[in-house]
Amino acid sequence: MERMDRRKFLASSAVFGGGVLLAGCGGGAGSQPSAGGTPTETHPPIGQEPGTLNILEWPGYEAGGTKAQTYGMIAGTNYTDEFGADGLKYTYIVNDTQAVNKARQVEFDLMHPCIENVQDYVNSGLVQPWDTSLLPSFKNLNPVLTERGMVNGQQYFVPWDWGYASILYRTDMVDAADATGWELFWNEKYKGRISMWDGAQSNFEVAALKLGFPEMDNQTSDQVQQSKEALIEQKPLNKFYWKSTYSDMQPAFKAGDIWIAYSWQDGYVNMKAEGLAVEFMQPSQGKLGWVCGFMLGANTESYHHAHKYVESFLDHEACVDLVNLFYYGSADATVQPSDVQNKALAKKLNIGDPEALNGDGVNIQSWMPNEDEVALAWQEVSAA
Amino acid sequence: MSSVAASKTGGRLLGGYFVLLAIFLYAPLAVMIIFAFNDSFVQTFPWSGFTTKWFHNAFSNTELIDSLKRSAWIGVAAAIGATLLGLITAVGMTARKLRLRGLVTALVLLPLVIPYIVLAVGLLILLNWLGLQQALWAVLLGHIAVSVPYCLLIILPRLRTLDQAIVDAARDLGAGPWTAFRRVTLPLIVPALFSAALIAFTISFDEFAIASFLVPAGEATYPVYVYSGARTPALQPQILALGSVVVVASLVIVTLAEVLRHRAERRLET
Amino acid sequence: MAVASSASPQRAGPFGRLFSAPGRGWLTLPIICFLLAVFVFPLVLIGLYSVNLLTNLFGVPTNFSLVNWDSFLPPGDNVFWDRFKTSMVITLLVSVLAVVAAYPLAYFLAFVARKRRYTLLLLILAPFFTSYLLRVIAWKVILANNGVINSALWQLGIRDQGDGITWLIYSWFAVALVLFYSWVPFVALPIYVVLENMDTRLLEAAQDLGAGRLRTFFRVTLPLSLPGVIAAFVFVLIPTTGEFIAPLLVGGPESYMFGNAIQAFFSDTPNWNYGAVLAVWLIAVVLVLVILFGRFLSTDLREGKATA
Repeated sequence: MERMDRRKFLASSAVFGGGVLLAGCGGGAGSQPSAGGTPTETHPPIGQEPGTLNILEWPGYEAGGTKAQTYGMIAGTNYTDEFGADGLKYTYIVNDTQAVNKARQVEFDLMHPCIENVQDYVNSGLVQPWDTSLLPSFKNLNPVLTERGMVNGQQYFVPWDWGYASILYRTDMVDAADATGWELFWNEKYKGRISMWDGAQSNFEVAALKLGFPEMDNQTSDQVQQSKEALIEQKPLNKFYWKSTYSDMQPAFKAGDIWIAYSWQDGYVNMKAEGLAVEFMQPSQGKLGWVCGFMLGANTESYHHAHKYVESFLDHEACVDLVNLFYYGSADATVQPSDVQNKALAKKLNIGDPEALNGDGVNIQSWMPNEDEVALAWQEVSAA
Repeated sequence: MSSVAASKTGGRLLGGYFVLLAIFLYAPLAVMIIFAFNDSFVQTFPWSGFTTKWFHNAFSNTELIDSLKRSAWIGVAAAIGATLLGLITAVGMTARKLRLRGLVTALVLLPLVIPYIVLAVGLLILLNWLGLQQALWAVLLGHIAVSVPYCLLIILPRLRTLDQAIVDAARDLGAGPWTAFRRVTLPLIVPALFSAALIAFTISFDEFAIASFLVPAGEATYPVYVYSGARTPALQPQILALGSVVVVASLVIVTLAEVLRHRAERRLET
Repeated sequence: MAVASSASPQRAGPFGRLFSAPGRGWLTLPIICFLLAVFVFPLVLIGLYSVNLLTNLFGVPTNFSLVNWDSFLPPGDNVFWDRFKTSMVITLLVSVLAVVAAYPLAYFLAFVARKRRYTLLLLILAPFFTSYLLRVIAWKVILANNGVINSALWQLGIRDQGDGITWLIYSWFAVALVLFYSWVPFVALPIYVVLENMDTRLLEAAQDLGAGRLRTFFRVTLPLSLPGVIAAFVFVLIPTTGEFIAPLLVGGPESYMFGNAIQAFFSDTPNWNYGAVLAVWLIAVVLVLVILFGRFLSTDLREGKATA
C-alpha cells in the first residue's frame, strides 16, 4: 500500500514537469443557434449518429450506469446497458434561471428543465419537439402533465418528475402557531436559522404568495418591486441562501445550523430518516408544485440516441425507482401507491393521484412572461 | 545585533513579529495537511484517527485526476506560449527606436491591472459573438494573455542588464545578429526564461475566473473541480488530500526553482 | 556603447534583420496583435453590451441605449451602486491592513536579518505561490462552525460543545481575513525592495545629527520608503476590486462583493447587458486608480532600470 502511494505521488509530481505541447483539445465547432427543427425533418438512422449526448442536468440525476450517478438510480440503465456510458456528458444546472443561461451557451442534446421555462426555450429556438412514437413508455404518462408540455400542438416537453416545494421546519424548534404559511420565512424570531433557496423565480413566487398577489407567475412591475422589497427585508434572516440541497441545505439542517428551509419533499424524507422532528408545511397560501422533464436540443446530431435515453427514464421500472429513491412523484400514471415502499409517504405526497398537482393547496409553477425582470430583481436582492 | 536601523530590542521585537507572521502564513497550509490524514468527513477536533484513505480516494477519483491533468497540460502550454511571446516582445522592446513605445508598454501591461472576472466575461462574450462553444483552447488563450506581462517583466530587465560587451564581442568575431542572439544572449538569459515559464505555469494552474466561465461540459480544470468539491461535504477530504500534495509540491518547486535560478545567475555573473 | 552591426563582415539574414537594432521594434507586433484580439476586443464587446448595441437575448432589438447606465449610476437608488461602495470600503480596508502588516516584515528583512534575508524572504513569499483556491479552502476548514477553531474551543472547554463562534465564517470577517492573508506576503516585496536599496548613510547621517532610531525611522526611513509603500498598496488594491472567489467560498449573503454581482449576472441570469455595465464600471475604476498611482508602479520599461 505504501509503495502505491509513493508511486502515485511521484506520478502526480511528474505531471508538473511534463513537457509535451498541448494538442489543441476541446473546442466545439462553431455553430449558430438555428430555429428548432420540425418533426417532419428526416433524421439519419441511429447507426449513423455520433451517439454522444451532451445533457444539461441537475446533480444527482445522471443516468444509472454512469460514474457520476452515486445514488444508485435505475433510470437510464437501459440506455447505458445498450450504448455504454462513455458518450454521456453532463453540464450541471443548479437553478432554473441559470439553466436558461447555460442553455444559450452550451450546445446540448437534451436537457432536464422544469415546466416554467418551457415557453422560453421554445421561443429561443433552442429546442425541437419530441417524436412520441419513438417513446414506447410515453403512453403511461399522466395526460394532465403531458398536456402542459405541449406548445403549438407539439410535444416539446416530456414530463418525468414532479413534486412539491414548501417549508421544511423543525417541529421542536419552531412554534406551531408560527408555522402557518410562507410568512414563516419572514419571522424575526428565527433570525439566522432560516435558509431560502438561491432561486430567482421560486423566491418571487414565495414572496407573491406571502403578499397575497393573485398571480404569482404573472406579477405586474409594481408587484415585482413589492416582492423584491419583501425579499430584501427577509434577506438578513437567512443564515445563507442554499444552492444545492445535498451539499448545502441538508447537511446544515442535519447539523442543526438551520431550522427552517425552503425544500422539496426529499429533504423532508431525508431529515425524518435522520431522526429529526420535522414537518413539511402545508402553507395557508398553498405549496408550490413543480414538474420537470426532458426537452430535445434543436441542433442535436444524436436524435435517436436522445429518444432512447429519455425512454430509459420513462421506463416503468425506472419511474417506480424514482419515487422510492428521491421521493418525487413520477409522471408515469401507472405507478401505484402499492409500488411505494414508504406508505405514509405515498399518502402524504399523493402518489398515484393524477390530480395531485391540481388541488387548491398547490400552486403549480408555470411560465413567467416577465422572467427577465424577475431575474434582474433577484440580482438586486442578492446585491442589496 | 544592533545596527543603525534598529536597536537590539527593536531587532528582537521585529524578529518575533516575523516569526508570528510566518506561523500565521503557514498555519492554514499545515492545517490542511494535518486534516488530510484525519479519519473523518469533517475537519474538527478531536482527531478521529490517522488514515491515508483520502489520498487513495483522491487518486482514484478519475474526475479529479483528469482535471489535474488538464490543468497541467494547459499550464505547460501557457508557460511555453507566454514565455515565447514574452521573449519576443522583450527583444522587440530593447530596440532603440520603438514607435509609440508608451502605448505599446501600456497595452502589454494592461492585463496586469484588469480584474480576471472582467476578462473572463469578455472572453465569454467573444465566444458567444463568434458563435463558438466553450472550449479549453479559449481558456489557454486567456491564460497566456494574463501571464505574458509577468514574463515580460522578468525577461526584459534581464535582457537590459546583459553585458552588451559580450554580444558585441561575438558580433566582432563575425556572428550575424541572429546567431549572436541564439548562441550568446539566449543562454545567458535562460534562468530568467525559466522563472518566466514557472510564473506563467503557476498563474495558469491556479486560475479560476476564466476557467470557470469557459471550460466545456465535463472538462473541468483543477481549480474548477476543487471549487465545486469544496461545497460538497462528501468530497471535501479528498480535496484536502490532493490539495496537500499540490501545496507541498508547489512549495518544493518554488524553492528549488529560486535556489537554482539564484545559483545559475551568480555563476553567469562571474 | 560599442557598435557592432555595421562593422560585422557577415551579412544579416532575414532573422538577422529582425534582430538587428533598427528592425527589432517589429518584434512587438505579435504581442500587440494577440492582445488586441484576445484582450482588448473582448473589452470592447463588453462596452457594446453595456450600451445595448449587442445583446445575447433573443428577439431583443439592439439600439444604442443608456437605460442600464442611467439605472446604475447615481442619482437613483441602485443596489449595485451601494454594493460597489461597500465593496470598495472593504477593499481599501484590506489593502491598508495588508500594507501595515507587511511593513515591519519588510523592515526586518532589509535591516535586521542581514545574512539570511534572502532565505527568509523566500520563506515568506513561498505560500503566495501555492494555490489561492486551496488556501481559501484551508481557511474554510479553520473557520467553520465545527471547524478547527471552534472545535478546539470546545475541547478546551472555553465554549460549550456545539456553541461555535458564528461570525467566523460566512461573514465579512472571513472574507477580509482571507484576502488579508493571501496578500501580505506579496505586499512585503515592493516595500522590501525600497528599504533594501535605501542608502543607509542617510540614516547614519540623521543619527549623527542627534536623532534617535525611532525619530530616524519616522522622519527619514518612512518618507523615503513611501514610493514602495504606495506601490504595495496599489498592488493589493487593484486586483481586490474585482475579487469574487473569497466571498463565494467563505462569504455569506451579506458579504457580497462587486465582483460577485458581475459573476452572477453572466452565469446566473440572461441579462448580460446589465452585467456589462457593471464590468465596464469596474474597468473604469481600475484605470482611474492606475492613472492616479501609475508613477508609483516601478515597472518603468522605458528606462533600463532593473526591477527586483
